[in-house]
Amino acid sequence: MLLEVRDLRASINGVEILKGIDLTVRAGEAHAVMGPNGSGKSTLAYVLAGHPNYEVTGGRVTFDGRDLLAMSTEERARASVFLSFQHPIEIPGVRMDHFLRAGYNELRKAHGEAELDPLKFDRLLRTKVKVVEMNTNMTKRSVNEGFSGGEKKRNEILQMAVMEPKLAILDEVDSGLDVDALRTVSSGINSLRTPDNAIIVVTHYQRLLNYIVPDHVHVLADGRIAASGGKELALKVEAEGYDWLAEANAPSR
Amino acid sequence: MTSTSQATHHGTAYRAAHAARLAAAEHQPQWMLELREQAMARFEAVGFPTARRGNEPWKYTDASPIAEATFGTPPTAGPEPLTVALKPFALPCARVHEIVFIDGRYTPQMSSVPGDTEPLPAGTFERHASGLVVGRLAEAIHRELPQVRAHLSKHAGMDANAFTALNTAFIEDGAFVWIPDDAVVTEPIYLLFIGTGKGDAYVTHPRVLVVAGKHSKASVIVSHEHLGDGGYFSNAVTEAVLGPGAHLGLWRLQRESARAFHVATTQATLGRDSTLTSASAELGGKLARHDFNVTLAEQGASCRVNGVYVTDGTRHVDTHTFIDHAVPRTTSNEVFKGILSGDSRGVFVGNVLVRPDAQRSEAHQLNKNLLLSSGAHVDTQPRLEIFADDVQCTHGAAVGSLDDAALFYLKSRGIGEGLARVLLTHGFMREVIESITDEAVRQHLDTAVEATLPHD
Ligand SMILES: Nc1ncnc2c1ncn2[C@@H]1O[C@H](COP(=O)(O)OP(=O)(O)O)[C@@H](O)[C@H]1O
Ligand SMILES: [Mg+2]
Repeated sequence: MLLEVRDLRASINGVEILKGIDLTVRAGEAHAVMGPNGSGKSTLAYVLAGHPNYEVTGGRVTFDGRDLLAMSTEERARASVFLSFQHPIEIPGVRMDHFLRAGYNELRKAHGEAELDPLKFDRLLRTKVKVVEMNTNMTKRSVNEGFSGGEKKRNEILQMAVMEPKLAILDEVDSGLDVDALRTVSSGINSLRTPDNAIIVVTHYQRLLNYIVPDHVHVLADGRIAASGGKELALKVEAEGYDWLAEANAPSR
Repeated sequence: MTSTSQATHHGTAYRAAHAARLAAAEHQPQWMLELREQAMARFEAVGFPTARRGNEPWKYTDASPIAEATFGTPPTAGPEPLTVALKPFALPCARVHEIVFIDGRYTPQMSSVPGDTEPLPAGTFERHASGLVVGRLAEAIHRELPQVRAHLSKHAGMDANAFTALNTAFIEDGAFVWIPDDAVVTEPIYLLFIGTGKGDAYVTHPRVLVVAGKHSKASVIVSHEHLGDGGYFSNAVTEAVLGPGAHLGLWRLQRESARAFHVATTQATLGRDSTLTSASAELGGKLARHDFNVTLAEQGASCRVNGVYVTDGTRHVDTHTFIDHAVPRTTSNEVFKGILSGDSRGVFVGNVLVRPDAQRSEAHQLNKNLLLSSGAHVDTQPRLEIFADDVQCTHGAAVGSLDDAALFYLKSRGIGEGLARVLLTHGFMREVIESITDEAVRQHLDTAVEATLPHD
């Protein structure tokens, strides 16, 4: 079992957003988390990555046999959890390649490996940019500064390619992408998949799931998983929207 | 009023030192003697700016620790100038015109020009194929070079500035740079003032005059460095004059001892279609004040005036800029960034004056401050006086702490708190470093700033 989430509850500013989430992810799997705006998808992603603004009020999360909730954000990253941000952050003055090398070397140190010098890292980066068909020149620019929405998303997946995480949580990686970019980014993601890792794709639309075919689909509503199923559940959402959820869940409230 | 009594008391001490200096000095032209006397009288009349009330330029900075102390001559003022290891201060480039001053005193054996294997002989004055002159100001005065007579003390006004008056009264060796018309100097011109910091109560008055002829091009860096951690007082003035079409890079590094007092004025006067590109790094001093004044005196003149200041402990660092758009079609761009930690204090006051005549001018100013601790404090104030109507002016001032969202983003990539803070802090002032157009100077200031930023 790679990830086991049990009855996870979390709140922000005293407002409970996650109201008991259960989720089990095995190595090699792809999970999709869907749900209407404001249902708590990003919150779930943030809480798993250790965002300090959220307070975990109940439940537990085991990752790779370790208590994930007891770990700091950077420890989770070093333990191989990766979050692709819905809204990647712009960091003026910090060069992409410097930032990436810093993170990459932290991971290596955590695994008792020697750090890569700038030259060697540069060589590595040249192969990684191909995963998302990005120009190497972009990696000399400040992190996400002045990047278009699509470039930011490519950049997130470039970082995933460098970090090679065991678990990647991809929050709306498809938003802001045109069809061509969507194809590039999703085939990049697919190329990074192995039997030893897993991905959770958070998305609003079924469209992405044509490219990244999920083994399991979960529909989040009001902080709970309202329905789980195979990839056909995504098609139901596509056809019927989310209205049927309210009725299905009404009795439990 | 306290300021008057202090001026009188300390005026007496400085007056005695002035008389002693004059008696010992080599032959000087009459105009120089008159200038010194006039400056001394001016200093005595104005006094140190210790009065705070109604004293706008010194509203945020208390000069009384300087006014109340008595500063003598440097401990290194023996017959033979001291030599020190220059390696820590070296510019990262092979060829450089380098003039070194130890405690204000010119040290020919440590100064060099590109292509020379031998140090400059004492008292000489180097002239290059391009006609460039880099040398000792005292020598230029002695030889009564017309450029010196025409410009020395003609730009940095001393009517209202006691520190400039005091510096002028005590001009000693100093540096003189003359870039003749049409000369293009590719190597940086490095004017290095090193305080030995041996002992506390001494004062030096570093003075620089840069005259850039029409259509000339050069890059000049004025550095104030230190060796020991003494509480000396360094009172510096730099004047730069740009002829028509001249391009001058004027860079400044202030890395005095953390116990030192440093007061400096840089005054640049820009002729028609000339361009000044400058950046300053204020990294040292217990109490430091820099006034950067630019006069856009003729049409088409433009300047970029950038800077960073980094403060920690209980240090106090004050930067005042004054950009005078005197005529039409003049442009100024200003970006200053402050990084403050501990219980330190920073001040940035950006004065911009667009005179009624200065139509079709552009003035942009930005000051951003990063507070890394709850004890640090900054006063930032844009002061814009715009009397022309057909102008473009923008200004902005911001004070903030490190961006939490950015910190989380870095941590989510495995980067720990300490390194994340260093990366963000460094990134914050990157823009200023990147604006330095001289590669060697950029690297040098980058390293200096980086070494000063708080690391944990
Ligand atoms: N700082 C906050 N304070 C209070 N409520 C918040 C805050 N941030 C997000 N929320 C609420 O949390 C809920 C879930 O948000 P989010 O996880 O971003 O949803 P999704 O990603 O599914 O669109 C929303 O109702 C949102 O309004
Ligand atoms: Mg979201």
